[in-house]
Amino acid sequence: MVSESPTQSPRFFGSRVKRVEDPRLLVGGGRFVDDIEKVGMLHASFVRSVEARARITRIDTSEAERMPGVVKVFTGSDFSGKEVRCVSAYDGFQVSAYPALADGEARFNGEALAMVIAEDPYQAEDAAERVIVDYEPLPAVVDAEKALLEDSPLVHEEWRSNAFVERKYKSAGFDDAIEKLPHAVSGRFVMARHSGIPLETRAAIGDYDTAGRMLTLWTTTQIPYLIRTGLADAIGLPENRVRVISPDVGGGFGVKGQLYPEELACSLASIDLGRPVKWVEDRREHLLASHHAREHTHEATVYFDDDGVVHALEARIVVNMGPYSVFPWTSTMDTGMAMGILPGPYKIKDYSVLGFPVATNKTPYGAYRGVSRPAACFTIERLMDQVARHRGLDPAEVRRRNYVTQADYPYTSAGGLVYDSGSMIESQELLLTETDYEGLRIWQEEARAEGRLIGIGLGAYTEQTAHATKEFVQRGVPIVFGYETSTLRLDPQGTLVISSSIHNHGQGLETTLAQMAADALGMDIADVRVDYGDTAQAAYGSGTFASRSAVLAGGAARRASEQLRDQLARVAAHNLEASPDDIEFADGRVFVKGSPEKGYGFGELCRIVYHRPELVPEGQQPILEATVAYDAPPGTGTFTNATQLAVVEVDPGTGGVEILRYAIVEDCGPMINPLIVEGQIFGGIAQGIGSALYEEFVYDDEGHLLTTTFMDYLLPGAPEVPPIEVFHLETPSPFTVSGIKGMGEGGAIAPGAVIAGAVEDAISTIGMVMVGEIPLTPERVRRYIDLAQEAASR
Amino acid sequence: MKVNGKETTREVDPRRLLVDFLRHDLQLTGTHVGCEHGVCGACTVLFDGETVRSCIMFAVQADGHEVETVESLADGPDDLHPIQVAFWENHGLQCGFCTPGMLMATKELLEENPDPAEEEIRIALAGNICRCTGYVHIVSAVRAAAAGMAAERMS
Repeated sequence: MVSESPTQSPRFFGSRVKRVEDPRLLVGGGRFVDDIEKVGMLHASFVRSVEARARITRIDTSEAERMPGVVKVFTGSDFSGKEVRCVSAYDGFQVSAYPALADGEARFNGEALAMVIAEDPYQAEDAAERVIVDYEPLPAVVDAEKALLEDSPLVHEEWRSNAFVERKYKSAGFDDAIEKLPHAVSGRFVMARHSGIPLETRAAIGDYDTAGRMLTLWTTTQIPYLIRTGLADAIGLPENRVRVISPDVGGGFGVKGQLYPEELACSLASIDLGRPVKWVEDRREHLLASHHAREHTHEATVYFDDDGVVHALEARIVVNMGPYSVFPWTSTMDTGMAMGILPGPYKIKDYSVLGFPVATNKTPYGAYRGVSRPAACFTIERLMDQVARHRGLDPAEVRRRNYVTQADYPYTSAGGLVYDSGSMIESQELLLTETDYEGLRIWQEEARAEGRLIGIGLGAYTEQTAHATKEFVQRGVPIVFGYETSTLRLDPQGTLVISSSIHNHGQGLETTLAQMAADALGMDIADVRVDYGDTAQAAYGSGTFASRSAVLAGGAARRASEQLRDQLARVAAHNLEASPDDIEFADGRVFVKGSPEKGYGFGELCRIVYHRPELVPEGQQPILEATVAYDAPPGTGTFTNATQLAVVEVDPGTGGVEILRYAIVEDCGPMINPLIVEGQIFGGIAQGIGSALYEEFVYDDEGHLLTTTFMDYLLPGAPEVPPIEVFHLETPSPFTVSGIKGMGEGGAIAPGAVIAGAVEDAISTIGMVMVGEIPLTPERVRRYIDLAQEAASR
Repeated sequence: MKVNGKETTREVDPRRLLVDFLRHDLQLTGTHVGCEHGVCGACTVLFDGETVRSCIMFAVQADGHEVETVESLADGPDDLHPIQVAFWENHGLQCGFCTPGMLMATKELLEENPDPAEEEIRIALAGNICRCTGYVHIVSAVRAAAAGMAAERMS
């Protein structure tokens, strides 16, 4: 019975396989950039601006240069013209240049001004303290909305205004629609500036081989090939003389997905000195100078009918980008994504939106898990709760009335995104059932009767994942991140290397890519090794970001494994006098269907291909190698969806918020490895809890960053994150290989909205107030309680 | 001093941090540096059997004492300690950067309290930040490790 063949039912795809990358990490054998030592290696320490904006009138390095062990001190003029430029294709985009070392003017607190090179890192830090910088402070632009006013100082004096660009969209029917709709609610929604904060800080080693004219940069990046291009362009080297290696990386979350000035500076210093130059960021530097994210202010209105069905949405989106457009995303990414995703999972027909990415004198702004979707989700979900309140409906019921339904897919949203598939209503129903929502509401009433402030919050989202060519063309970025690539190489023993363009820094991709490839070849994943991170070896592609690696590189690995399988089947068929269609692969054997004894061991067959070319059919290559670059159609992404629920208790005295329960239903299509999927969900939600309750970069009015240690920038620890209940639906994508969808970012998208909704619900027994600002620190919660009391007394 | 059971004698600058000594002088790079101000727990090692932050201690303070790092737990990836096995089986790590500190903090916890409740685990690990896992699988891993070590003691 061939239909029972094990190749028909995958052995690894869909299984909770233990990760193959874990043993080396568990024994302390991971190899991170700071673990790497080179012969003759020097160490760098940066002198950073203490002002947000200042003219640098003098840098005196003479005393530093006399300090023990100091080899050289570089300042801006040494690296003049070496800078990062990332120019959007959008009309009217204003260009910034992000220098390796600031020359003449510092534009944010923490910007690198000088680089001290010494034999030892302690000596480099000592000497950096002796560099004397004279600052002439200039008026700093800190608040993005004030920056848009006519009388604001300009961050870049040659610019027309502080907006990198202004974007707008209005649907044809918008004006008519809002005229006819009887109800509207508005709000102002503010998400504080915060960031991914990987536990490993950034680090880099520039290593220039003067005789061989070859630059190697070891760096903590998610995107080695893009760094290679950006670096080669910025410092003026032929790209074939630049090699970028990103070894084990201790978390990325987007913040390590950008080209940084320190990467330029370590490279330039090594070229100048002919010795390897290492820099390891300390945590204070990380909080000051690694790119920030999330700082959105939205003013938004929804227009709806008597039934609480929302028909139109209007919004003004302002994102505080800091002074420079970052490579490779440009400074338009957050605004553009927020404009696209703001209508969320709802069938809102008409839409009018203005978007402003604004230059300021805060730290430059880049990617963080979810990119702008946490802010967009916060706004639309908070508005849905206001609609519910306005119409006297339960928040779950209002959402149910507005969701995109099964009949609508593929659905083109008001924001122009194509939702390929999903399960909004089904996910919510499952969540309400699993958490006994009705019972929870009854329990809530009982607890309230005892005087407790208990709230329940809900939030839903669609998560655009695996977006490829079409999406990035629309975004106007200079590099269109269209595909990821996997090259599969079988060797004469029949073991497999998957060389991939992605990077793995916690996502489990060494395991999931192996799972994607092994089944087609009937292999054990123990015989598969995944290789990535070194541009001298890895298949070409963009790297890991935007929840796209499993879909694109995994899809590529699957397709390439099928090519190898076909090739091996032809060799086997040729020698077994059978048709290639009758060759089967299972359990490490390749054989004629129905006659398992007639065949080869998998390794035996691979060895024949390489070492017995006379047995390879004519016209076929005697090597087992296949490369596939996969651009998942239609190129605008495949959409995962989820619904999250939180139950919180607010302490009216302290303003403290305790999460009593957190649950999620996630639908990311067929799961390659449910264990890894759940790990990603839990991690995302924990970061979202940080966004909701703790994490905030606080600046003073002059643009000085006040939160530069983990004593004042708070991360959630084990006691702050509750147990998380997770449930799955698996609606396949109609477009991707195996129907899989990305899901790495999703967990982080909703907690801000969900927890704010729960806190608002909790304090509603005191008075009605809209919670529109996160993180909900005790101070903010106390303020909302005061506002609720005022509202109640009116 | 004794490091991972081996007598070790070195001359160091008085200001050299213990973590730099372990990582760069002894090449024990399993211990990581996450914040350099004693908050994140990535640099956690055992000092005379108790957890310390090696980023806020000087190497000279370890003179005459015993230090255990993650490298002491196993001879290699094929010979994992029950705590490491539990972290592997329960997906208690993602990027792996906090993991050595988590393992050492878990070792201390389970030596003091061989059967901790979930709440006790969360409090014991409160000084170790993980940015990847959301702690859910770490808590499961610690519970599984407790069971694994109990089984090992029985046999």
